[in-house]
Amino acid sequence: MEKSIKKYFPIFVLPTMIAFTIGFIAPFILGIYLSFCKFTTVIDAKFVGLSNYVKAFQDPTFLHAAWYTAAFTVASVLLINVLAFVVAKLLTKGFAGTNIFRTVFFMPNLIGGLILGYIWQLLLNGVLAYFGKTLTYTSAYGFWGLIILMLWQQVGYMMIIYIAGIQNIPGDLVEAAAIDGASKWQVLRYITIPMIMPSITICTFLTLTNGFKLFDQNLALTNGAPSKMSEMLALNIYYTFYGRTGYEGVGQAKAVIFFILVAIIAMVQNRLTRSKEVQQ
Amino acid sequence: MKAKKITALALAVLMAGSVFAGCGSKTEPGTESGAASGKTASTGKVYYLNFKPEQAEQWVELAKTYTDETGVQVDVQTAASGTYESTLKSEMAKDEAPTLFQVNGPVGLASWKDYCYDLSDSAVYKDIASDDYVLKEGDAVKGIAYVIETYGIIYNKALLNDYFALDDAVITSIDELNNFEALKDVAEDIQARKDELGVEGAFTSAGMDSSSDWRFKTHLANLPIYYEYLADGISSTDAIKGTYLDNYKAIWDLYINNATCEPSMLSSKTGEDAASEFALGEAVFYQNGTWAYNDIKDMEVADEDMGMLPIYIGGEDEENEGLCTGSENYWCVNSKASEEDIQATLDFLQWVVESDAGRDMLANEMGFVTPFTTFDEYLPSNPLVAANDEYTKAGKTAVSWNFTTMPSENWKNGVGSALLEYAQGTGDWDDVVTAFVDGWATEYQAANE
Amino acid sequence: MEKKKTKHGPLLTVIFTLISLAYVYPIVLVVINSFKKKQYISKYPFKLPSEKMFVGLENYVRGIQQTNLIQAFGVSLFITVFSVLAMILCCSMCAWYICRVKTKVTSLIYTLCLFAMVVPFQMEMYTLSKIANMLHLGNPVGIVIIYLGFGAGLSVFMFTGFMKSIPLEIEEAAMIDGCTPLQTFFQIVLPICKPTCVTVAILQAMWVWNDYLLPSLVLDARRWKTVPMAVQYLKGGYGSVDMGAMMGTLVLSIVPIIIFYLACQKYIIEGVVAGAVKG
Repeated sequence: MEKSIKKYFPIFVLPTMIAFTIGFIAPFILGIYLSFCKFTTVIDAKFVGLSNYVKAFQDPTFLHAAWYTAAFTVASVLLINVLAFVVAKLLTKGFAGTNIFRTVFFMPNLIGGLILGYIWQLLLNGVLAYFGKTLTYTSAYGFWGLIILMLWQQVGYMMIIYIAGIQNIPGDLVEAAAIDGASKWQVLRYITIPMIMPSITICTFLTLTNGFKLFDQNLALTNGAPSKMSEMLALNIYYTFYGRTGYEGVGQAKAVIFFILVAIIAMVQNRLTRSKEVQQ
Repeated sequence: MKAKKITALALAVLMAGSVFAGCGSKTEPGTESGAASGKTASTGKVYYLNFKPEQAEQWVELAKTYTDETGVQVDVQTAASGTYESTLKSEMAKDEAPTLFQVNGPVGLASWKDYCYDLSDSAVYKDIASDDYVLKEGDAVKGIAYVIETYGIIYNKALLNDYFALDDAVITSIDELNNFEALKDVAEDIQARKDELGVEGAFTSAGMDSSSDWRFKTHLANLPIYYEYLADGISSTDAIKGTYLDNYKAIWDLYINNATCEPSMLSSKTGEDAASEFALGEAVFYQNGTWAYNDIKDMEVADEDMGMLPIYIGGEDEENEGLCTGSENYWCVNSKASEEDIQATLDFLQWVVESDAGRDMLANEMGFVTPFTTFDEYLPSNPLVAANDEYTKAGKTAVSWNFTTMPSENWKNGVGSALLEYAQGTGDWDDVVTAFVDGWATEYQAANE
Repeated sequence: MEKKKTKHGPLLTVIFTLISLAYVYPIVLVVINSFKKKQYISKYPFKLPSEKMFVGLENYVRGIQQTNLIQAFGVSLFITVFSVLAMILCCSMCAWYICRVKTKVTSLIYTLCLFAMVVPFQMEMYTLSKIANMLHLGNPVGIVIIYLGFGAGLSVFMFTGFMKSIPLEIEEAAMIDGCTPLQTFFQIVLPICKPTCVTVAILQAMWVWNDYLLPSLVLDARRWKTVPMAVQYLKGGYGSVDMGAMMGTLVLSIVPIIIFYLACQKYIIEGVVAGAVKG
């Protein structure tokens, strides 16, 4: 069978591969190459070695953005997952209206990040006005504003995944534990959490990458103000490319660093949580 | 069974075929646009990268009128506030580059002069009133200004007269309001008695959102630069001294401490906010220019109640200071465009400044005062423009637009951030001075490497 | 379990009803503000429109005019539908080939697809926009190819994940009956993969529809704007932000999505769960 399929390579694989080359492979390789060049348009690229990387690491806004992004990611991963899990646990208790609540909580996911940003900008600035402050007063306001926005958007999504995980736990397992005299806490600690480890893995992965790569919401909510202090990595890279001419190479170098960071985090996280999963 | 199989096969082939059709279409747009440019090669087309967001819609409308009349395709794109240089750069790199673009003055021309077509034989140049309004390189005409603008402190005459009528008002007539001390006294007194006057503040919010911060980091910053150039007898410099920065601080303090909102709110206040505050009669003073008329008209402030004062910062002989008048909008035609496209662009420009539709749009809809001789019957009904005429008639010296000599966008951003931090109380005035003086030297160097 | 339901049920229902109301409030707030005159919006965001502030549908009209929103909907719909169709068709075929033909090339392709899922868009954005411009892909048809390419990683990964579990015997039997690989794929494999198709369609559609950065860099903005591009244009394209038009545009861009969601929420939620379990 394999042989007869093999001849069909042009039909089965080629369309995807052509698009994949244009949309992914070529830009990726060119991107790596250009990070070592000084250029304004792709054609006039001159090889300059590591100087773009040196400039990237010397840029205080980039380093600040890196810390800001890391702090944001940690805070958002923890808060989103804890809240999502609590809500999921409550919504699986089976009381009137759970389906409606689930529908409501999931809804913000379908709205684009840019639009969410503008909605929350109106709301949060309106609230802060009572205290004589705004979202862009200092970077801390933008930080927590962004956290609230992300909670609103993502808790519903992660909740859905947790609900699926909780519903997969065999009921008799919990009952047997209860008969054996396990407390509610013990059930949670020794049965529920180990059993939903796959859900935890995927939710941490999703919130981690979403937090790290956040762009649209950042752009719409504060746009990096004040003085680039609420700028996350993705936005910082964007403005290095498009905000200032002559810095395209530095922008590309920052992008490569960003890619390496994302790749490391994804791999480490995957190792860590996969090893804790229960074999089913 | 067999029939079913054949149908399925046919379907499969069809689908596979459509996959290739889909992939084939990858090249299609290319050939299509090639064909399109081939077809219209005889007429050429126009692509205008517009700098002024306030008039974005009107340009699109005007372009459509032209296309309907002549069949020539005119595309207009407007760069977002503060991003013109980078948009221009990326658009110029594309193969369908703008045929018509703008530079803001000598500094802008320096980076784009290789792309500027010599306009000395063009019809638009023949229509220009004086060579003061063009950018030249030797004998070549590289850029032509199409709008002359004026800014100052827009004020609400009715509210100011209410104030003058109050008991023990510090001054009682607009004629006495001709120096910084008077402006400061009046503004502070209005602020103190705002409830009595029924306003929320003397000045509108000095918003530092990107839609508004240019009013201060660029336009207000022009005044200390103007007085320094005047004192030193120069018209540009590679290192600013900052002689008048104390005056800059004084006027900035006045703006932020006597306004409709707390200084801590400034970071999110937009241009729209300030315009609304003025238009609703909540503030007396509003620093902006003739172009702001579209945003404040037809609200609660009648046209005859709108006036404009010079921005007094306490410079020498400021009783004779006029409004700030100049242009930072020069048309340039892309010399690297095809001959047909250049011709089409020149024809379009001629139509804009000579046809009834073009002149009506520029003067009446966009509210422009233009430097063209063809506009004698098309003067905008803009009360803010009229205010400028009064100062000119009274023999006041107009303040020139020296911000066109500022070294870069980055310099402006640095000053803007420092101004905001100072206003909020999260930074010192020293940071503004550093950004202004040291920033100028570093950015000038970086730009002229 | 039954006892718990009666014990805390009503209380939880009340609490969650309150939370749900708070949850939809931001959207309601935008709807309320969309009927206010633009000068009042950022000043009094929480006030209901009084007679002085009320402007009827004026903000909507202005929003549609300034952003050309109707066309933007068309562009977004076109790009989303065709990108998703292309991803389902091309990537499922590619995935099946990878599953059934074990060569160095196919395992390389599979590794590249895994790799692509990790790479952030910022890494590609500049070079991708240049390549797209050189190949004249800056139009709604061209961008479909880019979306197919950039989305191929996840799609191929999800399809292969599912196809590995399909027993080989079914396909072998079909081939022995004289089916060509194409017939086998479209008659046997694709129908079995229907649930994965739904999942891929939902995940990718959510991405493509809401994506701002890719189309804003690739599309020729003079001719085509997607809905997020139209919204952003309102923010930056004019000197001052017209809050009225902004509110109108926001409401108009949310409403169709919410209607679509309420109509197909069962599939959407199932799709998300299935995608998560396999991912």
